[in-house]
Amino acid sequence: MDSHCAVISLILCLMFVLGCGEARRVDYPLPSKNGKGNKQQLQITRPFNIAHRGANGELPEETAPAYMRAIDEGADFIETDILATKDGILICHHDVILDDTTNIKQHKDFVHRKTSHVVQGINTTGFFVVDFTWTEIQTLGATQRYPFRDQQYNGKFPIITFEEYIAIALDAPRVVGIYPEIKNPVHINENVKWPNGKRFEDIFVETLKKYGYKSTYLSKEWLKQPCFVQSFAPTSLIYASNLTDLPKIFLIDDVTVPTQDTNQTFEEITSDEYFDYIRHYVVGIGPWKDNIVPVGTNNFLELPTDLIARAHAHDLQVHPYTYRNENQFLHFDFKQDPYNEYEYWINTMGVDGLFTDFTGSLHQYQQWASPLNANSKSSIMHKFAKMLEGN
Amino acid sequence: MNSLSSVPIILLLLIVDCGASRPLVEPLPSKLDHGHKKPLQTSRPFNVAHRGSNGEFPEETAPAYMRAIDEGADFIETDILATKDGVLICHHDVHLDDSTNIKDHPEFADRKRTIEVQGVNITGHFLVDFTWEEIQTLGTTQRYSFRDQQYNGQFPIITFEEYISIALDAPRVVGIYPEIKNPVHVNDHVKWFEGRKFEDVFLDTLKKYGYKGSYLSKDWLKKPCFIQSFAPTSLVYLSNKTDLPMVFLIDDVTVLTEDTKQTYEEITSDKYFDYISQYVVSIGPWKDTIVPVKANNHLQQPTDLIARAHAHNLQVHPYTYRLENQFLHFDFHQDAYKEYDYWINKMGVDGLFTDFTGSLHQYQEWTSPLPSKS
Repeated sequence: MDSHCAVISLILCLMFVLGCGEARRVDYPLPSKNGKGNKQQLQITRPFNIAHRGANGELPEETAPAYMRAIDEGADFIETDILATKDGILICHHDVILDDTTNIKQHKDFVHRKTSHVVQGINTTGFFVVDFTWTEIQTLGATQRYPFRDQQYNGKFPIITFEEYIAIALDAPRVVGIYPEIKNPVHINENVKWPNGKRFEDIFVETLKKYGYKSTYLSKEWLKQPCFVQSFAPTSLIYASNLTDLPKIFLIDDVTVPTQDTNQTFEEITSDEYFDYIRHYVVGIGPWKDNIVPVGTNNFLELPTDLIARAHAHDLQVHPYTYRNENQFLHFDFKQDPYNEYEYWINTMGVDGLFTDFTGSLHQYQQWASPLNANSKSSIMHKFAKMLEGN
Repeated sequence: MNSLSSVPIILLLLIVDCGASRPLVEPLPSKLDHGHKKPLQTSRPFNVAHRGSNGEFPEETAPAYMRAIDEGADFIETDILATKDGVLICHHDVHLDDSTNIKDHPEFADRKRTIEVQGVNITGHFLVDFTWEEIQTLGTTQRYSFRDQQYNGQFPIITFEEYISIALDAPRVVGIYPEIKNPVHVNDHVKWFEGRKFEDVFLDTLKKYGYKGSYLSKDWLKKPCFIQSFAPTSLVYLSNKTDLPMVFLIDDVTVLTEDTKQTYEEITSDKYFDYISQYVVSIGPWKDTIVPVKANNHLQQPTDLIARAHAHNLQVHPYTYRLENQFLHFDFHQDAYKEYDYWINKMGVDGLFTDFTGSLHQYQEWTSPLPSKS
């Protein structure tokens, strides 16, 4: 009897295995994720700490280590710029050229690729991302852009893809949001073509959807996988808003720079009329901080403009860029202390998020000045509930 | 009746009898309420305002010191040098070229010369070649080009006595931390009457304003004061004449003591600590000798200098903590607060000389707030 059962079991097993040969692989939870169902949530009770290009004060910008360090240091969001290679791969890279952030100069094989393009009205010469395939890009090493920052990692880390960047965020031990930019879309769409007439913005949103990024600001789904889509090009944001509900941020360049797609001036795109219009498509703006509060030639702040007040009046968040620790970037009002600068922007000017190159310092400031436990939403609700109970 | 009428006469006699100085019969109206000034904190490392708040103002000026007091300094620090006619002033360099507008004074152009100071040939306009009256015509300037230049030429150099009065007039107890600066050079070039030396005049000034008492004594806590110098013989000389605590400053590893020509190795040896701890309560080393730095601007392994000093019951007050990233080693991620954390919590120093009093104070208030007054 026993051997009979054994044979039948064996045959059943074989049938099962063979039968499953063609079926889709079942998703099972990874051992590393078991028992970690509830990741620490994204904090939403104090301004967002946005790791601008990762912790690029310490590591070459937009590399895996820069992003992983930023997550370690407490970033709410890791931020990136998305461009496209010649063969349409979306990568994390800020400049349209490779000269200032990679060791391309050391690559003799690419010497003849140096060329000029007009980008946003400026004749730019260099090695353009859109002239290299992804395979070629992978042979380069990232370098630290600023000579006064740590040079020890130059050439050691590669450029990463949009998908790799997303993987880093999703694998964090707590919920970490992403903040990718549709970078130089006019330049990209002019130089890179995708099959089926798809545009840069289509591929960008498809990548987000592939990894489950969706839904509106503060929705349940969004809080599980937070994401802001940012761009300097309003038409790209409007186009994307037809493809996804994800919240968007309209970036605003310096006062002299018109928008690359609609050729509009700073005055126009920061007018009440424009805010009335764009607020239907974006949840916030991302201006250059020295435009919100101009700076005198003596390196002291002048009187603030009312840009933040007007943005807030239109229910638009304000996430200025970029906060850096080095004294050359700090105006004398702050006495060379970046913590004084955080204090000013968070408490006096009332911003909703900060793009910083120094995630750790901003996190340290926020932990000292506005620690989460004391004023977390859940603890406030808890206290309220206790009040109702009559405690 | 008789006793009553004699009261005004007795008072008059008291006043007249006190001779040259006018006694303070009643406290100044501004001080009536200040009988109990907030005392010096002694429960966390000292915030020593190195040359005042010279991150914001020209160093060693009245505004620099007043700003430092405002920003929470425990001690304001200064360097004392002497003019040609023996007036003690607050100034760091032996020459005037890097911290005053002397180049705008053509009348002094011919005073420029070259002297050997501590074995090095220096060219400039030397303090010891100018009278106090001449010094008063100069305006101080911000030494570092990357700091605020707007006050250049606006504030004068001050005397030791002015500096003391700033400390004494603070609304809370603020200590002073004056240095007997370049005493070999000063004693070579400036003579005082009756064969008195620089160190004697220095101490007389402190005594005139009532500075006395050993470290943490009741007298000292009312008017805290550390006397500092790179020259051990100056400190030993004064230790016979005052109980005030002293700090032995230690220069870079290549620099010999100006008076005894001893090496860094010698003056940081256990044997030397055994000796000097009889005279000083603390050492003041350059922080990059305690923890050396690699060529790539990362820290090396720390030396045991602090441990050995502490073992000899010597405090350690390293210099100098600055905010600008060129002074911050990469381990600190260009964040001076991380540097404070390292030195205070990991290395365990007892005081810090800083150009940025406010930032250190902010750090200490956030991480080690003082117990609130009951």
